[in-house]
Amino acid sequence: MFRKPVFIITAEIVLLVLLFLVILGPMMSLLIWSIAERWYWPASLPQEVGFEYWKQALGLQKSLAIGAVSIVPAFFLSIFIAIVVVIISMLIAIPAGYALAKYRIPFGAFILFLFLMPNAFPQQPIFVNLLHIFTRWGLAGTVGGVVLVHILVGLVFGVWITNATFKSIPPHLEEAARSVGASSTKAFFKITFPLAAPGLLASAVFVFITSLDEFTGTFFVGLPFVNTLPMTLYSASGYNMQFASVIAIILLIPSILFMTLIQKMLKAEYVGGMG
Amino acid sequence: MEARISVRRGFLFPPYVFLLFPAVAFMLLMYAYPFLASVARSLIDNQGNLSFANYAKTWDLYLKDVIFTFGVTIFSTLVTALLSILLAVYLRFGNSPISRILAGLYKLPIFIPFVVVAQMMRSFLAPHGLLNVALAKLGLISIDYPLQLLNFSGLSFGFIWKMVPFTVLIVHGGFQMIDNSYIEAARSAGATLFKVITRILIPMSKSSILVALVLVYSQIVGTFTLPYMLIGGKIPTTITVDIAHRVNYFRDFGVANTLGVFSYLLVLVTALYYLRSTVKKIAETAPAEA
Repeated sequence: MFRKPVFIITAEIVLLVLLFLVILGPMMSLLIWSIAERWYWPASLPQEVGFEYWKQALGLQKSLAIGAVSIVPAFFLSIFIAIVVVIISMLIAIPAGYALAKYRIPFGAFILFLFLMPNAFPQQPIFVNLLHIFTRWGLAGTVGGVVLVHILVGLVFGVWITNATFKSIPPHLEEAARSVGASSTKAFFKITFPLAAPGLLASAVFVFITSLDEFTGTFFVGLPFVNTLPMTLYSASGYNMQFASVIAIILLIPSILFMTLIQKMLKAEYVGGMG
Repeated sequence: MEARISVRRGFLFPPYVFLLFPAVAFMLLMYAYPFLASVARSLIDNQGNLSFANYAKTWDLYLKDVIFTFGVTIFSTLVTALLSILLAVYLRFGNSPISRILAGLYKLPIFIPFVVVAQMMRSFLAPHGLLNVALAKLGLISIDYPLQLLNFSGLSFGFIWKMVPFTVLIVHGGFQMIDNSYIEAARSAGATLFKVITRILIPMSKSSILVALVLVYSQIVGTFTLPYMLIGGKIPTTITVDIAHRVNYFRDFGVANTLGVFSYLLVLVTALYYLRSTVKKIAETAPAEA
């Protein structure tokens, strides 16, 4: 549509190289650190590279010399929390998303507000007060408390994505099933649910990743007793760059993998609160 | 339909009450209650009396940090707006192989959690980090005097790095919805590329650009991980870091909550705009059936 002279093409290439460096530079830094066994200033690159820290982190070897501990327990704790969070969140989110899509609800605006507020206002004060409340309930520093906080963070995404999914299914399909005598429960499980399955799955994946990556809520409610992967990364980053970089890469892989799979679902409301 | 069946059986709640109850109850208990508690506790001093003592203390100790937070947020949001509009324009009109590679690559940071971004930036922007080493190799700086980036500039860089891709995704989506015929008509009437951007592309996707930027702004104000790991307790720092220090070192929930209220106030205008526009958008697609 716009014809390009040579100098514009040159400018395009320069711009792209710059963008590549800016986007990939920080990732490269992480990658180099994760395999740097000896890196003393002012060398531009590590003097010695190897996978010692990777082996140590993954529990394949135990060396006291490099000071790091295995992240395997933290990894399994994070996965366990994420699975529990997905199950409970989806059990709560699917009915709510369905109701908001199919019924005109009195005080509907109030309910919408309640589910939009966490995107609009900072969440850290909420976590601070949950710490206060959970201390009274005996939930502070427990896995149960962390699960509740992760559900809070995940539920909002869960409700909005399931809601969008149910809205995209034409209501006349369920009505047709009802008119030939199916009960409303049967119509839902035979017609609407299978059609919604891909969207519901995407929503579950989103909640899973949100839980896996959650930092702030776990920091306030879970520390020092609940050490999820992000918490381990945080405590390592103070004293052991290599170890922190290894954990960072391990956290990065599922996020990029799963999110690439559900790219189509990306909308402002969901991605806004990521990370 | 179901409501009528219920009436015939005597008084029963409509089905949506049962469907919504768990989610709404959870949000009331785990979100609305702590939200109101954060405002209420900011007004109670350490003797348990209603007073503005926490506000006076916060004003004395942390005004600088409130201003710093606002500065970083405004700066990062404005740079994000500019860069993402330029990139979205480039992606809208570019059809070279390079632009297609970029279209695939630019989304990566959206999916990277803040805790990982923080670790990346910590090692990348450090005085002896990859960026300074690379600049020294190019002869742009002396390695003995590296750029000090673990402050306002590094924090802004981290936020912009994370937020531009998200904004490009939304803005580019808006640009894609605009029919080519509008742009061709303007071009044939002699409009420059600049005119096409400012008179057609931006006005026609104004609402999606605004919602994206409002979300970026709100999220930067509330982000704890990146400033905490990048600049920590240095002075000045962000409100979120101060809240963590107030809670972890002093167990001072009064001042922590007052700082929280300050962060609510910083996002008040953008939050109301976001809530209003989103509720309106949802109302337009609400189910017609009563």
